[in-house]
Amino acid sequence: MQFFHDTKIDFMSKRRLFFFMSIAINIIGLLVVAIKGLDYGIDFVGGTEVGIKFSGAAVQTEQVRKVMDEAKFTGSEIKSYGRSDEFLIRLPNVVGKDYTSTAILETLKKSFPNSTPTLLKVDKIGPKVGAELRSKAILALGLSFLMITIYIAFRFEFLYGLGALVALLHDAIIAFVISVMVHDLGIINLEINQSTLAAMLTVIGFSVHDTVIIFDRIRENREKLKNMPFLDMMNLSINETLSRTINTVLTAVLVLLVITVFGGEVLQGFAFVMLIGFITGAYSSIYIATSFVGWYLESVKKYDLHKETYATLTAKAKVA
Amino acid sequence: MKKGLLGKWLIIILPLIAAGILLFPTFRASQLDKQRQELVNAKNETALAAFDKENGETLRKAKDSRLKLGLDLQGGIYVTLEVDVVRLLEESAMREAVDDIFLEVIEKTRQQVDASGDDDVLGAFLKNFDAIARPKGRKLFSYYDTGDNRDLSEDAIVKRLERNINEAIDQAMEVVRQRIDKYGVAETTIQKQGTRRIVLELPGVNNEAEVRSLLQTTARLEFKLVRNNVQIVRAFYAIDQLLKNKGVAPTASTTGTVASSGATASATSTATVASNSNSNDTTKKDPYAGLTDDQKRAKFKKDYPFTSLFATFFNPPEGAQNRQPVPVIYEKNEFPEGDYTFQIADEQVAEFEQIMARNDVRRIVGNEYQALISAKPEPFYEKQGVKIYYIYGVLAKAELTGDVISDAQATFDPTNNTPMVMMDMNADGAATWARVTGANVKKRIAVVLDDRVYSAPTVQNKITGGRSQITGSANIEEARLLEIILKAGALKAPVKIVEERVVGPSLGEDSIRKGILSSVISALLVVLFMIIYYATAGILADIAVTVNIIIIIAVLAAFAGTLTLPGIAGLILTFAMAVDTNILVFERIREELRRGRSLRAAVDEGFKRAFNAILDSNITTMITGAILFYLGTGPIRGFAVTLMIGIIVTLFTGITLSKVFFELILSRGATHFNLGQPAEDKATA
Repeated sequence: MQFFHDTKIDFMSKRRLFFFMSIAINIIGLLVVAIKGLDYGIDFVGGTEVGIKFSGAAVQTEQVRKVMDEAKFTGSEIKSYGRSDEFLIRLPNVVGKDYTSTAILETLKKSFPNSTPTLLKVDKIGPKVGAELRSKAILALGLSFLMITIYIAFRFEFLYGLGALVALLHDAIIAFVISVMVHDLGIINLEINQSTLAAMLTVIGFSVHDTVIIFDRIRENREKLKNMPFLDMMNLSINETLSRTINTVLTAVLVLLVITVFGGEVLQGFAFVMLIGFITGAYSSIYIATSFVGWYLESVKKYDLHKETYATLTAKAKVA
Repeated sequence: MKKGLLGKWLIIILPLIAAGILLFPTFRASQLDKQRQELVNAKNETALAAFDKENGETLRKAKDSRLKLGLDLQGGIYVTLEVDVVRLLEESAMREAVDDIFLEVIEKTRQQVDASGDDDVLGAFLKNFDAIARPKGRKLFSYYDTGDNRDLSEDAIVKRLERNINEAIDQAMEVVRQRIDKYGVAETTIQKQGTRRIVLELPGVNNEAEVRSLLQTTARLEFKLVRNNVQIVRAFYAIDQLLKNKGVAPTASTTGTVASSGATASATSTATVASNSNSNDTTKKDPYAGLTDDQKRAKFKKDYPFTSLFATFFNPPEGAQNRQPVPVIYEKNEFPEGDYTFQIADEQVAEFEQIMARNDVRRIVGNEYQALISAKPEPFYEKQGVKIYYIYGVLAKAELTGDVISDAQATFDPTNNTPMVMMDMNADGAATWARVTGANVKKRIAVVLDDRVYSAPTVQNKITGGRSQITGSANIEEARLLEIILKAGALKAPVKIVEERVVGPSLGEDSIRKGILSSVISALLVVLFMIIYYATAGILADIAVTVNIIIIIAVLAAFAGTLTLPGIAGLILTFAMAVDTNILVFERIREELRRGRSLRAAVDEGFKRAFNAILDSNITTMITGAILFYLGTGPIRGFAVTLMIGIIVTLFTGITLSKVFFELILSRGATHFNLGQPAEDKATA
């Protein structure tokens, strides 16, 4: 079986359109996020978050809110995702107040005699730890971008490393923006916490896979086809590797799709972020990473890639 | 050729054998656990005892080297404790030497350390000391003992403080370990993190309140003389004046609710005290006349910023006509000598303690006295739904401390059948205790644990034999926790919980079920896809990848890794990635075949050419995995570990193992192989 047999798609002819369209989408997405604001998880803001599940008679968010306010759990926020019988109760860090889930559970048991609350989980993050986790998260993101760029630049050339970095940023931003929107719509709980961050980092790590496959082929083809116009050679490389780009992404997407649907709440968000990242990763390796290399050679170096070949390019580089 | 083939078979078989050996304990442990659980369920005591005798050791060993499940799958509590090094530095100083300058240095250090999360507390302290105390002519030895009279250098003090800090942390770990052991949690992990944090994982535990008191109790037990006398009252008056002049920080919005709840508590609330005093004092013009209740409260709070937080009563001496306690109002600095009682509502305690902790307030109270609050609310009011505590004035210097305690036992008080903890003292302690009680007959001695008064009984007569008790536990479980804590001994420095995560058992079970379900479905889908797309080669890839997963789990068990929920996701993701490696190779082989190469040449070329891309893409993932491992915590770390082990193992199986499969086929002289390529390509192959 073969999905793509001997394709000759002219990817590169539409490169400007897609490249700038993607950049526009990125910027618009980021603006929307900036306006809407982010919903940080308990990991990063600090405080106490208690997950409760009710069995028996149905319980409304409003009722839980009222009970918590009356019991003087000051400043509590009540949220509910997906299922109507599960609630997240969030309490801020207050000096001199030490809330225990045991106390909250007691209060709920008394107030809702017809439904039994069970404790799902508690996350209690001191203010200091919240700040530490935040700065670690930023460090982790920055470090990943930097290290991968350095690695690609070292394995290929600096220009290609830069192309990979732009593609990475693109994938990370798209995955981020879509996650924020899905969270806002209340479909999946995707607040910004450690596990969404881990998913973003994984996206960054895997997004390079497809890029590497294409760059690797370009590296091979440019030596073999020294006298083919550079743009044609790029097109050929993308077409030759199309099957593997699609198939490798397909297997990952299959897995992530299944986890998103069946994996339960904790894994759902994690898998969803990766799912988005992997799909955009395949696209970006063609239209962002490779296009970026083309764009740089044409617009910055002013080469005509329809005419120039790898042989003439290297000759010019040597003269320069 | 034969010899070469044997080597190739070994490449397939050896890792599988190794994996089998590594995974055997996991299998054995779950098998034995199951058998044991059956006996427990059947309540067959004798069989259980026999089983434990026969298999207990094997089970314990197997459990030690099995693949552990993370807390997110098993349920339990994860806690990060931080040792309060600043407090240790403050308390190591000589009590009589402590002054404003020193307290300023301590305060500054605490703020800095809290803000930055810096590990080097001593460094920050010394820097602040240089900046604040030294210009004012203070030296380290103004506050600290060197512990050695022959060496009075500052270096010796710094070294000693450093040693104290390290000892405090190690000792805290040891004490915490003992408490947990006695509490009875199996398979806990206790690790030091950085220089002042301890990370604990308590599987299967979910009573948060108990764990908190078990861990956070410093267990500093002290016996102090109660001095509810006029000196304390005068100090309270002085604090009122100080705050009135300086202005007290605006109090939280709780004031309203506090006053109203206090009002229900008979004569204890501030409002009632105010009206009482008014009715007693009719000769003077009533400053509260014509005000609404709310305004009265607000004015009272403003006039008495500190003493309005609690109620004060004067207890007339024996032989007085009327022995009813008289409410005291802090109008003038004129108070009768004698015995006083102080009561405070639950809502005010935090503010009271905040004010008492202020440096300027501490100066007023002085080094001799302390005001401590009772550990438990007064039962009489609690029955009416109001929590009222007592405040005790005590001598700061302890008559006796907890290190003389040789044993503790939770039991019931025979006189009123309430739970309590009996304590035995060693010989030294017993002698001191006899002397102290002998000298204070008819006076009160407070039993203080972590600066909270558990009880303050009046000494009836001299106690010899070194026994004492702590009463006031709400139930026998609480008394038992106290017993554990007293037996394990006190912490040298207080600890606090900075991070705590509880996973309820139902969530853990649910996670395992869903994790396994989604893993199986997605694995099946990928396996099917490979067979449909790459035919026979797809089957080879599926076998290689399955071996891959088995090896990863075995390696994880060997490195004492834990399987977390994100770890399961990482595992299944690795499965997909391992398949990718095969896809890259197969696509390349197909391509070479299309170009008309022989099968042999195409296979060689395919593996060789695909290698670069495989290596590069795996290394980038390795980079993010390493960063995640380094900066992540808990379950996320589990994900990073599986990801990294997965990559290394995948590089092995994807390249070596799949290659061996092809070699074995080629060695039989095959010239055609079904990689699922379209028919026209097959013809040319």
